Amino acid sequence: MKEVKTTLTPHQKKAIRSNLVGYSFILPNLIGYAIFVFIPVIFSFILSVMKWDGSKAPMEFVGLKNFAQIFGDRIFVQSFLHTIQYALLTVFPTLVLSLLLAVLLNHKLKGIAIFRTALYFPYIASIVAVGAVWNMLFQPDFGPINEFLKFIGISKPPRWVVDVKWAMVAISVVSVWKYMGYYMIVYLAALQGISGSLYEAAGIDGANGFQKLRYITIPMLTPTTFFVLIMLTIQCFKVFDLVYVMTGGGPGNATKTLVNYIYEKAFTSWEFGPASAGAIVLFAVVLVITLIQFAGEKKWSKDLM
Amino acid sequence: MKLKKVLAMVLAAGMVCASLTACGSKTAESSAADTTGATTAADSSKAGDKTQNSGEKKVLTVTTWDYDSSPQFQAVVDAYMKENPNVEIKVIDTSADEYNNSLGISLSAAQPDPDIIWVKDMGSMLQMADKKQLLPLDDFMKKDNFDTSVYNGAAEQLQYNGVTYGLPYRSDWYVLYYNKDLFDAAGVAYPSNDMTWDEYNELAGKMTSGEGSSKVYGGHNHTWQALVTNWAVQDGKHTVVEKDYSFLKPWYESALSLQDKGYIQDYSTLKTANIHYSSVFKNQQCAMMPMGTWFIATMIQSRAADETSFNWGIARIPHPADTESGYTVGALTPIGISAYTDQPDLSWDFVKFATSKEAANILAEQGVFTGIQTEESLKTIASAQFFPEGESNIEALSYTHYTFDRPLDPKIEEIRKALDEVHEMIMIKQYTVDQGIEELNKRVAEIKGW
Repeated sequence: MKEVKTTLTPHQKKAIRSNLVGYSFILPNLIGYAIFVFIPVIFSFILSVMKWDGSKAPMEFVGLKNFAQIFGDRIFVQSFLHTIQYALLTVFPTLVLSLLLAVLLNHKLKGIAIFRTALYFPYIASIVAVGAVWNMLFQPDFGPINEFLKFIGISKPPRWVVDVKWAMVAISVVSVWKYMGYYMIVYLAALQGISGSLYEAAGIDGANGFQKLRYITIPMLTPTTFFVLIMLTIQCFKVFDLVYVMTGGGPGNATKTLVNYIYEKAFTSWEFGPASAGAIVLFAVVLVITLIQFAGEKKWSKDLM
Repeated sequence: MKLKKVLAMVLAAGMVCASLTACGSKTAESSAADTTGATTAADSSKAGDKTQNSGEKKVLTVTTWDYDSSPQFQAVVDAYMKENPNVEIKVIDTSADEYNNSLGISLSAAQPDPDIIWVKDMGSMLQMADKKQLLPLDDFMKKDNFDTSVYNGAAEQLQYNGVTYGLPYRSDWYVLYYNKDLFDAAGVAYPSNDMTWDEYNELAGKMTSGEGSSKVYGGHNHTWQALVTNWAVQDGKHTVVEKDYSFLKPWYESALSLQDKGYIQDYSTLKTANIHYSSVFKNQQCAMMPMGTWFIATMIQSRAADETSFNWGIARIPHPADTESGYTVGALTPIGISAYTDQPDLSWDFVKFATSKEAANILAEQGVFTGIQTEESLKTIASAQFFPEGESNIEALSYTHYTFDRPLDPKIEEIRKALDEVHEMIMIKQYTVDQGIEELNKRVAEIKGW
């Protein structure tokens, strides 16, 4: 056997030292991440194949039964569909509005910062307060929204959060209002990155404002749009708080979403197995969307280079 | 250069330590107290019990909800500490809405605290019993020859699979509140203690007056499903856990008809405007309101604080046509002991006190009804300042039959969720009554595995 060389070259030593310094900087955050994110995530994977009621009693391995149970549960399937419905109602309006706002506010005007701030404001407002205030606005009998609708001649306005057909629309409206400011900032940042020379050249060629938007701005923003689309979709699948505050999943279960279902299974029924299985399904959905994003990102960045 | 690096590493290490200690400070403290219990007994919860020296305080931990705003726990906790100066009671308080969740999570940790558990609803008692988180009390009761007859059968009704996990602490049942001033102004006789639900509906029609924001409704149904289903189970022939819910039909039809005629406020208005029943009654927007006996204490406090000044009264809850007066619906608030407690004997002593006649009288002074109904405690409640005057009000507090609003079923919390959802759908007319009943049959069968 050859003797193992234990002494390191000065170069290796330096590399190790600088790595250690690097790790020591990450460590505080990493520990927090491990305790509050990573370990719970692993734990819910384990729970999803177990039967457990949250007590001291030992867990019981049940294999994929939990998944079979939730997929056989009407309420789970409905919650899944409601989540998709919410995503469809929310993603595109948010996308379009935030893009339009960004384009409108991408001018050097006096006081533009005030408008930008005003539109960003809902994003930082507390979701509980936002939900409560919008609930009052949507109040079907004497709420301002329905008063206005009656004023412009709609004699039977929707009953919003107490109407199975409109409750999800109401939640989506609030969601669009709340989050468009954030994505507007994302778009604004991207707009600043578009070279002014493109517009100049187009201007010389006689392009009007709309044509510039259609043939320069929107194509140049494609990677951003893609990013926003993916982030919005993921966000929609994770929705819980707004629904909880505005309707509590009602009327009936018309606005019950995936996370509301998981919450109820875990903390009303104390069935952590099926609840975790639901969470894994959610995880799978988000994972697929993220993978699409990764693939897309590569494609866009290649196209632009 | 090198110095800078070392400094950086030290700083980073410091941050790590800080984050670790920040997370773990609580456990570190209590374990330190455990080992050095003799010296730091006074300020630590567990230590007092370990050392048992005279003059040192034993500490009991209890869980409550809305401790500050409701006298129901405070009065008894204070009285116990007064009688047992060597015991200190530590209260872990949670808001009522979050109570079951946070209690469930803290019990999952299987820690010696809390010792005493006030159970917010009987359904959650069963969930805890199923998870073996509650201590069976039968051995203690046998040892002490504990007499449960004072509870008039309520202790036996609380048994689950023949085991006692909790004793009745407070007891509430439904009565009919009415606004005397509104009845006087309308020249209509007060609701009597013997009224059928049909007569009540008729009276609600008579008492409805006005338009718009000054409208006074004859009756008021809060948004709870209980305010329809209770009357369907009042005769004791059904419970809210059944294979066939068609017995609910006449009661939903009656509630919907009250709503359609405008004798009670619209469900969707109450729900979307998030209106609390107490504000409706206190603002004199309704002439009558079926509600639990807990509301008596609220009204007495409201009068005492000069928040309201009108006269109000109580009548027995109306009854179905096929039963006589005296049938009511109610629920118990049990008190139990955590299975993980490290001082079971002291905990039992507290539970015994909290469910004793003595505690019943203390609570009666606060207008709170307990598991023990004696002439004396009734008199105490009726003699409270601002309790409505007149014999009929005292008679209204008596009942002959007491049905639980929900049966002791281990799946009751889930079934309640289904009941709530269907109730909402029927009341906002997204379901017909028949559709609602069909959905309920299906949902409950799924939950129960029928």
